[in-house]
Amino acid sequence: MEAVSQARPRGRRWQHALERPGFLASLLISPAVIFIGALVGGPLLLAIYLSFTNATAGSLGGKWVGLENFRREWHNQAFQDAVWHTFVFTVLSQLLVLLVAGMLAHALLKRFRGKWLLRFLILLPWAAPLPLSLMGWTWMFDTTYSILTWTGQHLHLFSKVSPPVWLAQPRLATGSVIAVQAWRIIPFATVIFLAGLASIPKEVDDAAAIDGATGFRKFLSISLPLQLPIATVALLFGIVFTATDMAVVYILTNGGPPPSDATEQITTWAFKTGIESGSLGGGAAISLFLLPILAVVAIGMLVFARRTEVT
Amino acid sequence: MAHSDDPSRREGRYDRRELIRKTGVGAASVGLAGSGMSRAFYGPLRFKGRDLKGDLSIIQWAHFVPAYDKWFDDTWAKGWGQRNDVQVKVDHILNTLLPARAAAEAAAGQGHDLFFNLSPQAQLEDQVIDHREIVEEVQRKVGKIGRLGKRATYNPKTKKWFAFADNYVPDPVIWRHDLWNGVGIAPSTWENVRKAAPKLKAAGHPIGIGQSAELDSNMALLAFMMCFGAYVQDEKARVTIKSKNTVNAVKFMADMFKRGMTDEIFGWTPASNNNFIYSGRGSMILNAISATRTPEDLGLPFSDQLYVYPIPKGPVQRLGLEHVMGSYSIWKFAKNKAAAKKFMADLEMNYKEAFIASKFYNFPTFPGAFPFKKMQKLAAADKHKPRGKYQILTTIAQKYTVNPGYPGSTNAAFSEVFAKFLVPRMFAEVSQGKMSAQDAVNAADHDFKAIYAKWRKLGKI
Amino acid sequence: MIDSLVRGVREQGPAYLIVGPLAMLLAFPFYVMVITAFKQQRDFYDLQHTPYWFHKHPTLDNARFLFNETPYTHWLRNTVLVGLAVVAITLVIAVPAGYALARLSGRIGQSLGVGIFLTYLVPPTLLFLPLFYVISKLHLQNQLTALVLVYPSFTVPFSIWLLMGFFKTIPQELEDAALVDGASRLKTLTRVVFPISIPGILTVVIFSFSLVLNEFVYAFTFISSSANRTVSTGVYTDLIRGDLPQWGSIMVAALIPSIPLALLYNTFLDRFIAGFTGGAFR
Repeated sequence: MEAVSQARPRGRRWQHALERPGFLASLLISPAVIFIGALVGGPLLLAIYLSFTNATAGSLGGKWVGLENFRREWHNQAFQDAVWHTFVFTVLSQLLVLLVAGMLAHALLKRFRGKWLLRFLILLPWAAPLPLSLMGWTWMFDTTYSILTWTGQHLHLFSKVSPPVWLAQPRLATGSVIAVQAWRIIPFATVIFLAGLASIPKEVDDAAAIDGATGFRKFLSISLPLQLPIATVALLFGIVFTATDMAVVYILTNGGPPPSDATEQITTWAFKTGIESGSLGGGAAISLFLLPILAVVAIGMLVFARRTEVT
Repeated sequence: MAHSDDPSRREGRYDRRELIRKTGVGAASVGLAGSGMSRAFYGPLRFKGRDLKGDLSIIQWAHFVPAYDKWFDDTWAKGWGQRNDVQVKVDHILNTLLPARAAAEAAAGQGHDLFFNLSPQAQLEDQVIDHREIVEEVQRKVGKIGRLGKRATYNPKTKKWFAFADNYVPDPVIWRHDLWNGVGIAPSTWENVRKAAPKLKAAGHPIGIGQSAELDSNMALLAFMMCFGAYVQDEKARVTIKSKNTVNAVKFMADMFKRGMTDEIFGWTPASNNNFIYSGRGSMILNAISATRTPEDLGLPFSDQLYVYPIPKGPVQRLGLEHVMGSYSIWKFAKNKAAAKKFMADLEMNYKEAFIASKFYNFPTFPGAFPFKKMQKLAAADKHKPRGKYQILTTIAQKYTVNPGYPGSTNAAFSEVFAKFLVPRMFAEVSQGKMSAQDAVNAADHDFKAIYAKWRKLGKI
Repeated sequence: MIDSLVRGVREQGPAYLIVGPLAMLLAFPFYVMVITAFKQQRDFYDLQHTPYWFHKHPTLDNARFLFNETPYTHWLRNTVLVGLAVVAITLVIAVPAGYALARLSGRIGQSLGVGIFLTYLVPPTLLFLPLFYVISKLHLQNQLTALVLVYPSFTVPFSIWLLMGFFKTIPQELEDAALVDGASRLKTLTRVVFPISIPGILTVVIFSFSLVLNEFVYAFTFISSSANRTVSTGVYTDLIRGDLPQWGSIMVAALIPSIPLALLYNTFLDRFIAGFTGGAFR
């Protein structure tokens, strides 16, 4: 690289500077670094500071209390429940996503009639603004008018007197929010999977065919390993979307139903504690628990993706 | 951009222009800007000479009786602004987001001049002004503030009025006369409700009292407790939840749930009471009269059968809570405190209009602002069937409605218990059979005491 | 003839069997939305009537209510404006940074890349109050500009990371050739690298836009007046009248942005896939 730039005719000083890779790089990166530093870094530092104080609603400061907030939450049953729910919510919804998106992507590789329409239908959940599609789900889960309940009752699957109430029974509510979260991420994951599959060179497929590998065996021994990096990426985004975004739970159940708030997540619990009931310090501490865990998961997955990458 | 003389449009255009200037996406607005707006009141009003007294910004919920918002925004606020030479701007947000917005404004030290909430926000006491002046002004004109209003917005410990409640909303029982007729009794006592519940449920018409993390469940269950002589705190703000009465109340509710309700009450939302009645399925709810007004408007076939009663009598007494305590507060950092104070005082002193506009939903906190007698007369004249059903509201308001936190004041500690929905949680644990009544009450006692200790340490109770 | 038919069924059958039901399942809520959107209120509030079809004749009342009684068109316009502005800012910041991280720097670049990605993990609940504070100090409360400023805080890290991967797939030789031809580095960037990066950039555009549409905590709390809301949040205050959501109108409000966007995504899907893999250069 150096050799290349030295071979170039010299221009004005400024232009020359632009030719130095290091300088150009920092020039190109600096807006991003400044921007992220200002909008994420600054607020993040402030939030970290708050988590060590007893700040309450209405002030962005308070008395230094050390690790007190962390200690209190650590021993708080509601917080422990929220951690467990977040884990279950994230893992199960992502498993569902991997399964469905994987199947869809494989099937969509083939050419067939009506594919365009089917693809459109699959993309819909992703195109719809989430707060709006969640209103649709709220209606579908309605305690009285749920179309799901109606269908079940007419198929004689559910009792007429006490049918399932989707967002009111702990297990069902957990299942419902998991399903909706998966529903919202599946289209996105399918697209990433499709991209991953498209990048597998045709020759590999042909070679496998000559070797007589077909169907499931081919999938297991050839397609799957080749897809691992891209699947990891899809999964990583899915995990981040699921663990840090409270939209689905906040709008559908707001952490309910009782007992022990069956769908309460770390994010909704932090929002309730820190913002709705005014213990800023506690709320910040709760959110911060999530960060190192996610960071470890993310770095682990990125390293894994790079290692298995086939180039 | 045809009506560019329309003030609200001007505001919109300013925003847009600024956006374009700052981001350089001018092209995007072409073709999108022409979209029309049918109602003028979205954005501030502007009047001649407005620079004399400035702006007044208000944020509040979208009222459960939509007609009230129309009156408040288009008639009252607009007229008041013209009379006082102030530009009034009213924003409405989703009621469940009011606390988050309030926390954000408080933290930022910037926001609306008047901030509304559905229950008094005692925990924000340090961030708001003392509202004494408004209370005294209104008292001079119309007489003393009601006991309910005082207990809900005055902190006896710090001697500060941390909010100004202009209204409260009585919380009656609403029940289907035709369905209960089949059982042969009326929901006048909780014992009657327990007796009727299994028959109603078997007929496909359960009763609905929420046990979920939301406002209506909170109110209904706290009121239910009081009928059994059970309270969260006493006059001195000491936790009194651990009592035989609470245990009885919790047990009774669990029993009533098993006999006459379905699991849906654990997923209750503020709209559930209403939907439950509108579907024709529900036979009884505890809710303000928005639940009878909508069926009247929609012309639902059973709207004539919806009866309004006071809360059923319990073994100890008949006593209920308000359904909503409409409280406004003025931030210390509010820009136009003078206008905000006058606006509140004027609104309260002319409460007749508000009462009518809300279709008898809002009751004035100062009984003198619009006397019960006159309210009753208006209610008696309401044409909806059964005739005169709304008359009972004034009795409910006078005799059976107290503040959240009764017999104490609504204080910061109580507000936190309330905001975290710990009472519905206590009830639900037992109704779902996860805990014995005694254990649930003990657990609540433990949680409440920690919260009260925290606020006591901060000197607020 | 029969042979090819059999082969067709054998090849296409499984695809239909998998994609067909799953697609219908995924799109089912939208079917419900369409039906509810055009139903009369008294029709969908009657439990005797099937929720799958109309019992009384379909109506446009819900749509009329949406357009006449709420500033819905304003919300749409606001959404598009915010979306485009955020996308523009995101591109200006993320494209150069993504390129630089992928190409010009070594190990430092790698860790910086991971660092930028990690900022994406910070939950909005944590940043909410500090950001609101910043917005207030800049006097941007209740202005669309507030959203335009805040949204890139999550679109930028996401996009940089995506583009980094994309730029890595562009062969170095292409650039070297241009450099040898005497083009400056900047020119190489604008004339050679960016044009072949269109699929990647398109991916970023669509992803950022959809992230903007899905956000709601900031949109709810930073904007307080009805006319300045976006579609995602306006519905929650203006269409929940009383304690009763206007279900029909809400469904109309949800369908109007969803369908064209899904069409758009579908149209660009193939380029989009290329954007992810850089397939064109393999």
